[in-house]
Amino acid sequence: MVRTTYSLADLPEGSTGTIRDIDALSPTARRLLDMGFVPGTPIKAIKRAPMGDPTTYEIRGYLVGLRRTESALIDVEIKPDVK
Amino acid sequence: MSNKITANSRNVYLVGNPNSGKTSLFNAITGERHRVGNWPGVTVQKIEGITETANGRLIVNDLPGTYSLTPATPEEEIVLKTLDEAATGIIINVVDIANFERNLFLTTQLVELGVNPVVSLNCFDSFTRAGGSIDLQKFSAFTGTTPFPTVARRGEGVSSMIEHLSRPESIAVECCNNMLVLPDLWKKAAEDVLACQGLKWASATPVQRYNALRELISLKPLESDIKIQEIRRQLAAQLSQGREKPVKVIDLACELASDRYRRIEKLIAACATIPGKSIPPWQEKLDTVLTHRFLGLPIFALMMAWVFWTTFSIGEIPMGWMESLVEMAGDFVKANMQEGLLQELLADGIISGVGGVLVFIPNILILFFWIAILEDSGYMSRAAFIMDRMMNSIGLHGRAFIPMIMGLGCNVPAVLATRIIDNRFQRLLTMLLIPLVTCAARLPVLVLLCGTFFPENPSTWMFSLFFVNLLVLIFLGHMTSFLFKSVENSPFLLEMPPYRLPTAASVWHMLYEKAMHFVEKAGTVIMAGAIVIWVLSVFPREVPLSFDYEAELAALKSQTVTAETTEQIAALTHKRDIEQMEGRYMARIGKLMHPVMAPLGFSWRETVSLIPGFLAKESVVSTLTVLYLPYDEDLGKGMSKTGMNKLSAFVFMLFTLLYIPCIATLGVVWRESGSTKFTALSLVVYFVIAYLVSFAALKIGEALQASNGTAAEAVTIILAGIFAGWYLLRTLLNTFVGRQCNSCAGCSSCPSKSSDCQG
Repeated sequence: MVRTTYSLADLPEGSTGTIRDIDALSPTARRLLDMGFVPGTPIKAIKRAPMGDPTTYEIRGYLVGLRRTESALIDVEIKPDVK
Repeated sequence: MSNKITANSRNVYLVGNPNSGKTSLFNAITGERHRVGNWPGVTVQKIEGITETANGRLIVNDLPGTYSLTPATPEEEIVLKTLDEAATGIIINVVDIANFERNLFLTTQLVELGVNPVVSLNCFDSFTRAGGSIDLQKFSAFTGTTPFPTVARRGEGVSSMIEHLSRPESIAVECCNNMLVLPDLWKKAAEDVLACQGLKWASATPVQRYNALRELISLKPLESDIKIQEIRRQLAAQLSQGREKPVKVIDLACELASDRYRRIEKLIAACATIPGKSIPPWQEKLDTVLTHRFLGLPIFALMMAWVFWTTFSIGEIPMGWMESLVEMAGDFVKANMQEGLLQELLADGIISGVGGVLVFIPNILILFFWIAILEDSGYMSRAAFIMDRMMNSIGLHGRAFIPMIMGLGCNVPAVLATRIIDNRFQRLLTMLLIPLVTCAARLPVLVLLCGTFFPENPSTWMFSLFFVNLLVLIFLGHMTSFLFKSVENSPFLLEMPPYRLPTAASVWHMLYEKAMHFVEKAGTVIMAGAIVIWVLSVFPREVPLSFDYEAELAALKSQTVTAETTEQIAALTHKRDIEQMEGRYMARIGKLMHPVMAPLGFSWRETVSLIPGFLAKESVVSTLTVLYLPYDEDLGKGMSKTGMNKLSAFVFMLFTLLYIPCIATLGVVWRESGSTKFTALSLVVYFVIAYLVSFAALKIGEALQASNGTAAEAVTIILAGIFAGWYLLRTLLNTFVGRQCNSCAGCSSCPSKSSDCQG
């Protein structure tokens, strides 16, 4: 079976997913919600930094870099047709 | 706050996302008339500007940039704290229209709370160029705000906005179909919460309304009132109607944020056309190169080398002019004033104090010229992105790399450069670590001392000093970020703004502000410190001498000049100088402090020499030379004659390297941190670290020398060495190869949970 749900931290470079869930218990997640990381929003992993962390993502038309500690709070879904 | 609203003066507050052009707009409105202070209670910089209009004066407050009213840092808290006060004045919400949805989130929050801001739709040029369009009338009607298209970087659209702000009657907007207001369910729930506190929505202040909403989505529901919990449950149940998956109470925050974004999407669909592709392809290409896996680091390294070289090598030329100017002024005073205390104060105290401040200006200007360009062009965020992994390994933000590397040249501009880090905790941590970076001024001291004590292999010893220094730096970084992990929980969000061409105006603003700020704030502290040290080193004027040197000297001088008498005169003068020096306050303080330093194996002369070292580290050597003159012309020989050996010399150098930053650095840290407590605490930290490290080095060295001996000691030393090496290596390895993040406690809590988690 093809895996469709990833942690955002594991979303491969260059692929687009849809935010499915976000860890509601984390204060960091609150800020991410305010910045538009709400369920249903498409997000694209653009690039990992040369040393493997952080990673830039494109969401709602802007670019933002997140460390693994932040991106791991978010679950994304990759639909085969989106990819 | 201090400014009362009078008939012809109004308060204007700028709020907006970071990178929305808020500061550019502020500069465009107010020009150069700024007043910099602190927000009450917190040490966050408060910037206020004034502009005069035909209808009176506008006092403009630049509030810290924030993505949301819900604060994540002390800076952002200011926005919420000021909200009630701001609602009585005019709020300008700066919205980067090229990044419309996310910027409108803050606008939505404001509108929900009943605040109707003036909206500056900034970066309007790139929006229309990319093919976007907006119906301003509809936007105004659907949001209840007054929109103004602006290009703050070039000052376009600003004058009509100022014109509007100054007209008293035009602030309120009639609104019939506001799309951003709270949905009824939420408003009803918020009203219920307010009712529990005896308040009404209609009469509550914006902050009270905000707090009611916050109760609804609070993270810790168990702590809140039972009534409020009931309201939350009801709200969740109502929201669940007609959905497949019921809404849990804990998901209310997510629901509210989603709902806001739904309203924003609807609003945009109703009044604007957003360009399909917001990031132009050339920017993507540039990004690919600049953050490339292999090319990114070398490009960044080249840029840093260029910045470093121009700052400190080119900067040396105007520095030389300044130095000779100061010298000329001093000579002029000495030549044209009567000899005496006043002349000395002017020439040695004040003029050299001023010189000590001015000498930093070329470095600061050049460094900030590049920082302004890097920041404005958008490259700074990319640099932080590249370096973050490495800096994170010692608990720092990626943006801390530039200040740290500049510290190698001079700590003073480096501390000023911490301004590029927007998070206050991170900024303080970087400021704490910068003085442990060996600056160029410390090098000659090390070269000299190592050359004196270890003539056969000075470079080996210098290298080992650097090694210990680096260990201390990394260790302190680790420790602080470990200790304060719970305090510091603001998320790491590195926004990558689009690449832009820097404008002359913003570069000029940065340079002007930096230079003025430095001279005004830090300059005064540095000068005062220099004068205090000078006073300590020349007072008391009359030192009781053990022997009437003057009479003897006079007698010698009256004799016929022979080789013998000249020698005697020189010897006597030396002796007199030393006795005088010992009598001054500085030496007295040194001797007073000596018992503390004695365990490190110093004689009182070393302790005394550390005090002028506070002014500038190179003074340590010159003071020592004078103090050891009676024993030997050569400092090294003199020291060994009085019982100092290579070991104590090494310990002394180590201590000199670590003990305290120079007064200029300290002054800048004090001003930039805005906290006396932080500055005092960091001084204690440096001193304690220097003491402990030196003491350990002394003990290890003693054990090494004494032993040839007991196996236990040898083992201890070897273990300590191995441990230090391992610690350093591990940090480096983690940085460059390891994927293990520093932020999780172990595999079980590791977010990646994958097989490569090594614990």
